[in-house]
Amino acid sequence: MSGAATATTVATAALRTAGLRRTLGTGDAATEILHGIDLEIGRGEFCSIMGPSGSGKSTLMYLLGALDRPSAGAVEIDGVDTARLSESGLAAVRNAKVGFIFQFHYLMPEFSALENVMIPQLKKGVPARAARERGRALLARLGLEGKLARPPARLSGGEQQRVAVARSLANRPLVVLGDEPTGNLDTKNGESVFELFEQLVAEEGQTIVVVTHDPRLAARTQRIVRLQDGTVVDDGPPREVLARAGERFTEPSP
Amino acid sequence: MTPLLLVARRHLVHNWFRTAISVVGVAIGSCFMIAMSALMAGFETKFVRETIEASPHVVVLDEFRAAPDEFATWLSRTLGGVATVASSHPRDRLNRIKKPLELIEALRATERVAAAAPEVVGTSILNFGSREVGAQLVGIDPEQQERVVSTDEFMTEGRLLDLHSASGAIILGSGVAERLGVKRGDTIGTALRSGGARALRVVGVFHTGIVPIDAVRAYTLVTLAQQLLELGRDVNRVVLRLHDHREARDVASDVEAMTGYRTESWQETNANFLSLFTLQKFITYIVTSGITIVAAFGILNVLIMLVLEKLPEIAMLKSMGYTAADVTGVFLLEGLAIAALGVVLGSILGYGLTEFLASLPIPQKGLIESEHLVMENAPSLYVIAALFSFASTLVAATLPALRAGRLDPVVTLRGRA
Repeated sequence: MSGAATATTVATAALRTAGLRRTLGTGDAATEILHGIDLEIGRGEFCSIMGPSGSGKSTLMYLLGALDRPSAGAVEIDGVDTARLSESGLAAVRNAKVGFIFQFHYLMPEFSALENVMIPQLKKGVPARAARERGRALLARLGLEGKLARPPARLSGGEQQRVAVARSLANRPLVVLGDEPTGNLDTKNGESVFELFEQLVAEEGQTIVVVTHDPRLAARTQRIVRLQDGTVVDDGPPREVLARAGERFTEPSP
Repeated sequence: MTPLLLVARRHLVHNWFRTAISVVGVAIGSCFMIAMSALMAGFETKFVRETIEASPHVVVLDEFRAAPDEFATWLSRTLGGVATVASSHPRDRLNRIKKPLELIEALRATERVAAAAPEVVGTSILNFGSREVGAQLVGIDPEQQERVVSTDEFMTEGRLLDLHSASGAIILGSGVAERLGVKRGDTIGTALRSGGARALRVVGVFHTGIVPIDAVRAYTLVTLAQQLLELGRDVNRVVLRLHDHREARDVASDVEAMTGYRTESWQETNANFLSLFTLQKFITYIVTSGITIVAAFGILNVLIMLVLEKLPEIAMLKSMGYTAADVTGVFLLEGLAIAALGVVLGSILGYGLTEFLASLPIPQKGLIESEHLVMENAPSLYVIAALFSFASTLVAATLPALRAGRLDPVVTLRGRA
């Protein structure tokens, strides 16, 4: 690969890992979860990570989102090697470049839906008024305009997860990382969250990486990375990866 | 409002019952610290104020301070085994102060001395009918004495200058008068040392409220005291009033170094009472700080519970870019808010309790006399209580706050995935 080509690749990659390893525990109890992952996710890419339980999907997500540090290898977010950052540097990267969505919504019960979306913005230094406007706009786009003032306890499971999606988008992150974001939702709500992801990718070029067990949802992404025992065993377009895995590919609904 | 303040405030408001319990805990500790300190300070302040008004600030005595007998010590060591010094005695007292007038003039010329007066002091048995009372007879020059000790303001019957109104005039402490059963105008008697008796006319009664003074002291003119105590024309005390009573120790030390006479400050004269007050104050602070520390443990418990409850939200905050310091800050702010609210409430309750205790009709007749508990509602007590409550609450909040800050979000998220 030529130098110019490499430079272009690095510039366009939202996320890049090289030889990424992660070991949990120490001494005799040490277990290597990831065995050298090389991965590159381009800007505006909608990628899913699949694999059986214990294959290292969540661990990879935490590393990609600068929530954890690798035992070896490198993670670059927007070209910045996270290994060189201090704890506060990592926190700043998470605040500005990454939006997390987890299986549980983890909304703060003391705050309204709107305030939950404002919290990451306030940390970034966005003035309260602007943060409120951005929160309103995001929640309205997700169909929650009538429920801005409601606390999470008074929202349905699907609505709670939509607020979590809005929160992840609040700071206009480079990449949204979803760790089984539909795991707690019924099929209909799960599909509506994926529809939203598709819209974000199509309309705003949002980079999204999601971990999912559901091949039907994974089929709606542009790329599937399959992990097994801490190693990437397949990586490519959904139709091909699912075919190789013996999964039936379901054409995404328009 | 910063996001940290916002989160801290919401935690406190959302968990209002737990917050209220913590605040009340701090408030109770603070309240009792204020009230107990006010009680202790009240007694001490009243005692000191009345002592420095009703007694001289410094007294020059007709004796020498007992110094270690170096000769006896040397002799014991040298003759060890052959002979020992069984006991040694201090130098004999003089029963008089040499050249008192010159000494008084010299002391008056001293910058820190406001007034000086001679006194003739001895013990005497006073009788009225079949009643006999031992009294401390103090011979004074009323005009000079009044400049040193504000006796006249404590007169309940007659005036200090009435000592000039009759030969054999005597003014009695209220306790002495009560025990003798006399009032102004009565004639009492006293036994002379050489035999015989002398009639004395009660021209006044004073009441300082300090029981050790009122119960034993009686004033006469210097000349009469000299006759009754058979001291010739000698004076055996010189009493001083200072511009600043807090300098009494230094002045006493200087005068003693200058004259050689044992010279006592009011603090030394009342050292036993003052050390008692110090001990009481110490015990008070131990007890009340115990209450505050228990309250602090309550806060520690509440915040630990809160941190454990908020593990997922702490993990989420960190995933949103909040740092360990931010998370620690949230819980420290909560501790601070609880401390602030507790201190404010405790100060209000402390003020109320102090005023309430002061209003209770609880007559005191011991060291000092009062119809109520003597409470000093001084601002400094509130400041001390506030500082102590703040410090203990912050220490209590620091542990869970640091723990919250150090929490690894990945461990939490992995455990809940």
